[in-house]
Amino acid sequence: MISFLHPWVLLGLSTAAIPLLVHLLARREPPTVIFPAVRYLVTTTEQHQRRLKLQHWLLLLVRTLLLLALVLAAAGPTIPRSGVTGHSPGALVLVVDNSPSSGLVVDGIVRLTALREAARQALARATPDDRLWLITADGIPRRGDRRTLEGELASLAPSPRRLDLGGAIGLAGEVLAAERRPGEIMVLSDLQASAVSPAEVTAPLVLGRPDDPPPRNVGIGRLETGTQPWPSDGGRITILAVGDSGITVPVDARLGARPARQALVRVGGGATITLSGAPSGWWPLSATLPPDELRVDDGRVGVVRIAPLARVDWEAGERFITAAAEVLEANHRLVRGTDVTIGRLAPGLSIVLPPADPAAVGAQNRALAARGIGWSYGEIDIEPGATDSGAIIRPVRVMRRYRLQARGSGRTGVLATVKRQPWLVRSGDVLLLGSRLDPEWTDLPVSAGFMPFMDVLLNRLARGELALIDAAPGDPVALPDLVTAVRQNDREWRVEGGGSFRPADLGIYYLLAGADTVGAIAVNVDSRESLLARATDAQLRKLWPGARVVDLGQAGAAAFSSAARGDLRGPLLWMALLLGLAELALASLVRRQRS
Amino acid sequence: MYQPGDELRYVDWKIVGRNDRLYVKQFEEETNLRAMVVCDASRSMAWTGAPDTVLPKLAYAQRLIAALSLVLLRQRDATGLITFDDDVRSVLPPRARLSHWRQLIGTLAALEAGRGTAAEPALQRVVGQLRRRGLVVFVSDLLLDRPITMKALRFLRHRGHQVLVLHVMDPAEVTLAGPAEARFEDPETRAAVVLRPRDWAGAYRDVVRSVVGEWRLGCRRHGIAYHRVTTDTPYGMVLREALAPSSRAV
Repeated sequence: MISFLHPWVLLGLSTAAIPLLVHLLARREPPTVIFPAVRYLVTTTEQHQRRLKLQHWLLLLVRTLLLLALVLAAAGPTIPRSGVTGHSPGALVLVVDNSPSSGLVVDGIVRLTALREAARQALARATPDDRLWLITADGIPRRGDRRTLEGELASLAPSPRRLDLGGAIGLAGEVLAAERRPGEIMVLSDLQASAVSPAEVTAPLVLGRPDDPPPRNVGIGRLETGTQPWPSDGGRITILAVGDSGITVPVDARLGARPARQALVRVGGGATITLSGAPSGWWPLSATLPPDELRVDDGRVGVVRIAPLARVDWEAGERFITAAAEVLEANHRLVRGTDVTIGRLAPGLSIVLPPADPAAVGAQNRALAARGIGWSYGEIDIEPGATDSGAIIRPVRVMRRYRLQARGSGRTGVLATVKRQPWLVRSGDVLLLGSRLDPEWTDLPVSAGFMPFMDVLLNRLARGELALIDAAPGDPVALPDLVTAVRQNDREWRVEGGGSFRPADLGIYYLLAGADTVGAIAVNVDSRESLLARATDAQLRKLWPGARVVDLGQAGAAAFSSAARGDLRGPLLWMALLLGLAELALASLVRRQRS
Repeated sequence: MYQPGDELRYVDWKIVGRNDRLYVKQFEEETNLRAMVVCDASRSMAWTGAPDTVLPKLAYAQRLIAALSLVLLRQRDATGLITFDDDVRSVLPPRARLSHWRQLIGTLAALEAGRGTAAEPALQRVVGQLRRRGLVVFVSDLLLDRPITMKALRFLRHRGHQVLVLHVMDPAEVTLAGPAEARFEDPETRAAVVLRPRDWAGAYRDVVRSVVGEWRLGCRRHGIAYHRVTTDTPYGMVLREALAPSSRAV
């Protein structure tokens, strides 16, 4: 079957109509010329009409064929060359999808085994002159000879990382762009509909997909732990199930090593489970489903912080702070006390706002300095801006703010920014806010995010707890400023606050600031991996024009098929050249007869 | 020498008496020539391909005939004129007086292009005007029925007249030109052909050459002098060629 490297060029076939259109458009009502020797013209046309008409139609045909040949050549047509056992030296990029869904077990065989076998068969067709590349879910192109890549394949296991196939094809295209020899991309994957995305296909693309339909799968898509920290009397979690069927399955939820609680959850819906209290601390949370063919999404982990409610003292004169604190108190999210003071600098944990009177800023700064706080209030900035996106606060408008200035060389403890400048910072047991919580300064007090912000500010930030983050393996996670290390079980990574961290494995990573735990990252499989429904061949060809879709068992034999395919561009260009010469000769003949 | 069939009145009896041989007397006619000019005044003769620079064929023919008749009359040759279109328009009998030229000019000046073309009646009228052997000058663009015209010309030749055909052509009739595509219409018959002159110029030139060749060959075969004259040719050159003894003797 003929396939095209650049099928969109075939739109140019419409240009073949140009000679005919020119011919038809030129056929308008001609002017009348009085000419006595019409009888000679009649004789002339009688003698030459047939020959001239034939020449004109031949010229039209040749010009049309010439355009067709050029357009077809530009589209890069290839045809399979039967009986060809070898191939010219080429480059092959193997994309082996070892994403979590490749851990699917069908008839006792892991799906990745079939993908690996197809990859081995493809490599078996390689010659020493071929360039070979391997791309897996980690997104790193590995180059090697056949033996090296077979070794890589042998050690390949299902990865917790999701593989976006469109991105992988784009990456493979970039790899091949540097190759001088003809290249080919072979994707061996279960071709989940949730994993395919548009990509520019710059080289012949072969897609090897399993020929059996995927089983119906159920997985845990999300594990929500609600507002944190939990009080010591416990809290509620919500488990959302995803998958390809609408069945209801039992789910276990367990806080630490405590006895599990069970509930029923329907795919596409959620189940809420109340977990009893526990002593203060960081508690791992797990939810599990009964095992099915894809095990990796049958469990999910989370982190729960259990701590006593903040005991807060607030200034009665601060209208919006008072209102928010009273609402939180009524909802059992804080109690009155003196552990945390908001609105002024107090001996304990304090959340300091800039004074309403600018004349008092100097005294405020002196008090902060006397306390050993590394930040102070600087110039007032009345240019409107907005808070930058972050885990703590969504963007809100800020009309007035004091610039927060760090003392000394370091600039640590930044929790939120406006125009990339510190707006909420922490130093020791003091938090400094750049704006007063008043609508004249910022829209925050009158926005929907004010109550969650106050909850996080009083219950977590004031206590030095910075982040509870959900992530997928391999995703970059922005670390809060104060974080100095990341720990998972016995492993620990020294990190720089404000930097990025990529968790590689599933599980819980704790964020440390010195000896204190200030946050956690719960790393789970991307919920899209639970959707095993396969993209149809039509969808694939629409996303990746020109792609050949073959069964996994035949994928190996399809390797280097582009190199073993006959490229019709050469013959077409020769044909175009011959047609061009024919056109030239015919046009010259007609011109000669005219003159 | 006498041949059987010769008239006995031309036998020179004096020579018979002297040497008993039969000789026939031969006479050389020394009377002046009688010429008849036949001018085509059909509508096609009123055409010119370049009105600003080239005379219409009829105007050219009028001037040419005027010059020719003046030459003939000055030789004291009686000269007459017949004009025709689809019928005979005027007949001016041949006269040898020089003042006859004024009548001839007057007739030519009053001549206007007519409708179609039919040369045969005009050529037949020549027979009535030239009772003795004379010269017939046929001036036409020859856009007429060739077999019939040739038959009439052959008849004149058969009657012993010298016949001179002046084929008047406009230069634009020799070389086909015009807009990219045009509808060419015959002014006489209204027949029309649509074509692209650039495509057909070469073939048309061949056809014109072939037609002229056929006229020339047909005339030569019957002892008729033929000259193709384009309307941008000086009159003197035409007269020199047409009236040369070698030309008239064809």
